Amino acid sequence: MPDTRNNDAEILLDDVGMVYTASDGRNVQALTSVSMNIQKGEFISLLGPSGCGKTTLLRIIADLIKPTSGRVLIGGETPGQARLKRKYGMVFQSAVLYDWRTVIKNIELPLEIIGVTKEERCKRAAKMLDLVGLSEFERHYPRQLSGGMQQRVGIARALTLQPEILLMDEPFSALDEFTREKLHIDLLKIWRKTNKTIIFVTHNISESVFLSDRVCVLSPHPGRLSAVIDIDLPRPRTMELKDTAEFTALVSKVRNSFEGV
Amino acid sequence: MLLWIILLIVLWEIFASVVTQTKRTPENVMPHLSGVIDSIFSDKRINGSQTAFEMIIENAGATLSRAGIGYLIGIALGFVLALLMSLSGVIEKIAFPYLMLIQLIPILGMAPIINAITGDIAVSRIVIAAILTFYPVATNTIAGFKAVEPAKHELMYSYAASKFQIYTKTMIPFCIPYLFTGLKISAPMAITASILVDTLQGGIGLGCLLSQSLKGAMTRYVFWDIVFFSAFIGILSFYLMSVIENLLCRYKRAGGSGKKG
Amino acid sequence: MRGLKKGSLSQQRDKIESIVYPVLFGVLIMILWQTGVLHKMLNTDDYILPYPDKIVGIISDNSDMIMVNVWASVEVALCGLFLGSLIGYIIAIAATSFPTYGTGGLTIVSAFNAVPIVALAPVIINWTKDVSSVAEERSMVAKILVVTVTSMASMSVNAYRGLTELPPFSDDLMKTYAAGRLTEFVKLRLPNSVPYIFTALRVSVPGSVIGALVSEYFAEYIVGVGRQIRENILIAQYATAWAYIIVACMIGIMLYAMLMIAEAVFLRKRR
Repeated sequence: MPDTRNNDAEILLDDVGMVYTASDGRNVQALTSVSMNIQKGEFISLLGPSGCGKTTLLRIIADLIKPTSGRVLIGGETPGQARLKRKYGMVFQSAVLYDWRTVIKNIELPLEIIGVTKEERCKRAAKMLDLVGLSEFERHYPRQLSGGMQQRVGIARALTLQPEILLMDEPFSALDEFTREKLHIDLLKIWRKTNKTIIFVTHNISESVFLSDRVCVLSPHPGRLSAVIDIDLPRPRTMELKDTAEFTALVSKVRNSFEGV
Repeated sequence: MLLWIILLIVLWEIFASVVTQTKRTPENVMPHLSGVIDSIFSDKRINGSQTAFEMIIENAGATLSRAGIGYLIGIALGFVLALLMSLSGVIEKIAFPYLMLIQLIPILGMAPIINAITGDIAVSRIVIAAILTFYPVATNTIAGFKAVEPAKHELMYSYAASKFQIYTKTMIPFCIPYLFTGLKISAPMAITASILVDTLQGGIGLGCLLSQSLKGAMTRYVFWDIVFFSAFIGILSFYLMSVIENLLCRYKRAGGSGKKG
Repeated sequence: MRGLKKGSLSQQRDKIESIVYPVLFGVLIMILWQTGVLHKMLNTDDYILPYPDKIVGIISDNSDMIMVNVWASVEVALCGLFLGSLIGYIIAIAATSFPTYGTGGLTIVSAFNAVPIVALAPVIINWTKDVSSVAEERSMVAKILVVTVTSMASMSVNAYRGLTELPPFSDDLMKTYAAGRLTEFVKLRLPNSVPYIFTALRVSVPGSVIGALVSEYFAEYIVGVGRQIRENILIAQYATAWAYIIVACMIGIMLYAMLMIAEAVFLRKRR
């Protein structure tokens, strides 16, 4: 069972639950009693089938929704306070780029919002664009880019404000396998360079094992945390890792930890 | 398309030839196009002092400037109402059914009474053009505000953006194409309205000229000149809006769907 | 599971509010009107803008006379709407079958939409002078034709989209069954276009009422709600004119309500 003893964790979830009222008036238990803590700089996956509450959990951490029970602490603060301090960078299922802005202007958007000068904006956005390897496309419009490139712009934008926590909601699920594998390697490189805490929602077992330090397995009906599995594979991880017996064994272990699917 | 234009012209000329042979006053029914073009550019003074061309330009100025003022007022009102409706739930609930209702009311049919209330033909032209512009702009802008994907709102929320920033950075730029849908619908309508109001009363204006010519106060060719002129202006106003839209939304024209990333 | 769903209680409150608020607003306007405050706001008097009770009185006193004009206008609007929609749909079918020339034709038809109806009405009235020796009949034909032309564009453009914007791979599916063009049309394109027909009608039904009223202004034979508004203002019978305006609004709303009912019936299986 996950422990809640360590109170200086970066993210602390204590008995978090979420109940929705459906349109027919019945209560739906989306999430029951999730407790865990996440250390600074950790790469955590929330893994599970649809309806297991993994996205709900991510949204609770992001302060997009309030849990109906339990508490969440981000570095000792509420999610609301953490959001106001711009501690979060969000990456969504689609890139959610602004069609009318060029790539560089998209990355500048969060800087505009916190009121950074134009000169500084350009400099910082260019640096982020370099980090995701798209410097030559800064004057392009989003629709001129492929899906994978768009999602890299989305990641660059999420990192612009140098948030402490990167929240990723199935960011690669719409991409083809080849692009996805390449982005896995890129994401791990970016993670190593920037040392962010990453919470990564996915329904892809192999993806979660390859990327994470720990995989949190969630099961549906009602949504609950059914296992937390340490992935003690060496880093830096390369594509060859996927062919090793250790990797395959961990994938099976994760798969077998699901309940009632 | 060119083919169709040629076909239409040929059909017109065939019918015009038939009419010329069977009618005593062919220009009352269907004159040859050459005759219409001749009448526009002929030096003959129609009302003693002006040629047809000068007369049409002068009257068109009166009609179109009023249509233009009404159009601009209608755009401003429609946009502000859409903004208020999106900002306030109460205003949206009050205004929404009336916005639907006003589309079903034949405003053009009310032209005479609006003329009677305002007592001034110039003012009533502006008022009716404004009403006819106002609701397509308001409904389309509202539709644009509602079409903003939830993820964009969540992104803004995660940056703790202010309400003002949410509107200036996301909502308003997003709804521009929707706004232009409204502008394209209402531009010919504003012109139609202005001409129709002209016909209700004497004075200056394309509509007055049209009814005078119909009543036989001047040559019938003036009538045909105005018919073709107003058709041309109506279509032109539609395309003018498309051109402005394309200039404003450069990202839409940026072609090419992508390099693989 | 995405997004904070509103509880059923607050949803219910929302529904009630969205009915109560506009009704209260409407009542407020009627009170301002009946008490004369509205007149001060519009800087007019109760001669040009009579009180609601007077207008209602006129409508009930002259109901026979009003109904004659209502039928004249409704007949024009509906006949024109039917003809225009039919022709518009046929144009859309033609454009689908012969895309090389068809799409250009569609552009022309939609350009007609931007032609001011005030320019169109007198022209068509001119052209139909020889249709009949009875003024009533030839005016009727002219008015119907005006509405026909105005309702053609929205139907042809929307129906074309309905006939061509098919669900992904559905035309490929038809090909794997070796379906002929006619089968493909009847089984796939035609049903696919039904919702688009209603989209077109939502625009052209109110448009047909406006077309009918405006064409009456220019017609020879004096009949119809639109013409009555104008004639009564010319003889300064403002209260009667207002009665006809109210009736005209009712026609627009009734026809649209009928369209909504038809849509609910025809599209019930698709929702």
